[in-house]
Amino acid sequence: MKDISRRGVFQIIGSAPAVAALAGSASAAPGPYRRKVFDDRQWRTVQVLCDLIIPADEVSGSATQAGVPEFVDDWLDFRNREDGNENLTAQILGGLQWLDIESNALFQTGFAGATGDQQKQILDRIAWPARAAAMDRPWVNFFSKFRDLTVSGFFSSKVGVADLPYLGNRAVAEWKGCDPKVWAIIEERMKNGYKGLGGEVKPLLS
Amino acid sequence: MPQAKANPKTYDVVIVGSGAGGGVAAHVLALSGAKICMLEAGDWYDCAKQSEMLQWPYNAPHRAARSKAKPFGYFDATLVGGWQVPGEPYTNAPGTDWLWWRARMLGGRTNHYGRISLRMGPYDFKSRSRDGKGFDWPISYEDLAPYYDKAEELIGVFGTNEGLENTPDGKFQPAPAPRAYERVIKITCDKLGIPCIPSRLAILTQPLNGRPACHYCAQCGRACGVNANFNSPGVHIFPAMKTGNLEVRTGAMAREVVVGPDGLARGVAYIDKKSRRDETVYAKIVVLAASCCETARIMLNSKSSMFPDGIANSSGLVGRYLMDTVGSPVGGHLPLLEDLPPQNEDGVGGMHMYMPWWLYQQQKAGKLPFARGYHIELGGGRGLPGAGALGGADRILGGGYGLELKRNLRKIYGANIYLDGRGEMIPNEDSYCEIDPDTVDQWGIPVLRFHFKWSEDEMLQARHMQETFQQIIEAAGGKVLYKFGAEENWGIARGGEIIHEVGATRMGDNPKTSVLNPYCQAWDCKNLFITDAAPFVTNADKNPTLTITALGWRTSEYIADQVKKRNLAV
Repeated sequence: MKDISRRGVFQIIGSAPAVAALAGSASAAPGPYRRKVFDDRQWRTVQVLCDLIIPADEVSGSATQAGVPEFVDDWLDFRNREDGNENLTAQILGGLQWLDIESNALFQTGFAGATGDQQKQILDRIAWPARAAAMDRPWVNFFSKFRDLTVSGFFSSKVGVADLPYLGNRAVAEWKGCDPKVWAIIEERMKNGYKGLGGEVKPLLS
Repeated sequence: MPQAKANPKTYDVVIVGSGAGGGVAAHVLALSGAKICMLEAGDWYDCAKQSEMLQWPYNAPHRAARSKAKPFGYFDATLVGGWQVPGEPYTNAPGTDWLWWRARMLGGRTNHYGRISLRMGPYDFKSRSRDGKGFDWPISYEDLAPYYDKAEELIGVFGTNEGLENTPDGKFQPAPAPRAYERVIKITCDKLGIPCIPSRLAILTQPLNGRPACHYCAQCGRACGVNANFNSPGVHIFPAMKTGNLEVRTGAMAREVVVGPDGLARGVAYIDKKSRRDETVYAKIVVLAASCCETARIMLNSKSSMFPDGIANSSGLVGRYLMDTVGSPVGGHLPLLEDLPPQNEDGVGGMHMYMPWWLYQQQKAGKLPFARGYHIELGGGRGLPGAGALGGADRILGGGYGLELKRNLRKIYGANIYLDGRGEMIPNEDSYCEIDPDTVDQWGIPVLRFHFKWSEDEMLQARHMQETFQQIIEAAGGKVLYKFGAEENWGIARGGEIIHEVGATRMGDNPKTSVLNPYCQAWDCKNLFITDAAPFVTNADKNPTLTITALGWRTSEYIADQVKKRNLAV
């Protein structure tokens, strides 16, 4: 048997029938998304909340621009069916309602209609689990869950993948291992220590 | 199909199952000239046409999340199967929490498995002689070594020759260079005295027999669209079919081995799933490779006046000494890997480095409280973002939202790792499968009931995994994100969860204490052979597929040789 040349492999990959088939199916998703869980009022709150968590910046668009509210709605419906209960949905809907109640009590308007500063005033109470008040614990848990859904929904979207950026899921002609320039940075950190978001690393190499 | 029951066609060999064990038997026997019929309970599958390679989670339902129908995610190669197979249940005895993964498709689990290909070592075949626990195999490493060579050369395994204790080297293709996090862990392990070496996976880094080398998209679990990793159809079955000697029947659910008045196997009765008709395929030799538990099920269901307890079960050991692998994970975050220039860290579908068991001498000297070893598998890096991407980030960032959160998430992407143990379970009396007399599947076939227990050796091994993995993460300057303590049984996996079930028809050198002779031939029925993991006497920490392939090759050569010598009539 003849070995398939490198070029041959890439031709095969490029023309893989599965890849061609998908382009016309799951990715196209024609027509507007049909909500399965959120009502109109909740939907407005979800959109506002998603964009407070992941706003647009100089690198990429916001959570709503990446389709995260649709992802969250679809995810809750999926979990309802997979888990055979609506516990997650109940936690999310309960939290959204609390945001409205709290906003009405403080600012005489629903959360979606409050000003940015007012919204942040409420979020600051529940966005940092370690410093939140004990009485806010259920809403801290709600927000942590909602943030996780927003974050994973955003960074697994096409927009989010490009933002990170994730550079794989493609054919690579030659695997070379870790980029030497990246390794030089890591090695320097191992020699001199490094303070990252996840903690301080003492020098590991002498 | 016209029925020809009056004068049925008789094949030389019928093989039940098309995974690693059935595939290697079909390949070796078809090339030796035998006329073979293979039965597969699932559908046809050809990775070159059906792989979901290079698809994106954002184009899949729920970002390709795991579901009951697709427990390893939407793109996993498994067509029908998983922890549950619709219409084909199994039961657990009270107190047992066994999980049984089945893949109903041509090639079985070889389409999606981790391709980890580790030889068992000399100690692993003689473990009772070494520490007094479990049993010895009736063969030694030297008996199997030539077949490991052949298996590696055919399926294609990368690795490096290291000369480590009880970690035999092999016929390897070049290993791929490590990723960033693997280099960090290697340096850390060097400091801790834990060997960290290139892994050994059945993925091509060089072209082989018309198969191209890997293109490093890291998604081997989806099956490879260019056949660059080992899978039974692409490597064993399709080439065997080219000889004209192999016929494959899919949708054929084996029910029992049919026996003649002479006590020899005559063929296999099965249900054609499409027509729901009972069929029988006749053959002079029967090879079972349905996966360890399914093979035991077929044997136990093959009851006749000659074999009232199931075929070839005079020892009463069919179904006994069922084993899985000890697994226990720890996850962590390495600040060293934060905020680095982006790079593609995909590589092959699996780890480029691993840690083989290293404490043989300490164990021999009685310095460890458990008997057998484990290897360490690792993962991490800038992986393909799907459902759950960057989940749980507040455990690193403490919470937050907005522009700062978005910036910080970018920085911590790719900085998490996990370490997972794969350890040896010692066979015990309390772990076995039997026929559940009160339950049948949708084909009317009695199902299996499982009994399973970890012993103290496995629990203490899991504890050692937990302590060691936390030590490695901390020594790399990292923060442990998840771990398991005594109250959680040290995170030990459920029986069956690692999907390394072996044993149940063990081989031996005494018909009273084993089901099969040293050539995996049934003591009680000389034309019945087994080539899956059921003949395993022990379950070393070395993942079973390579040993299934080597042992099945040896058994198949023995069959061909016995036919030549006219000890078996074909």
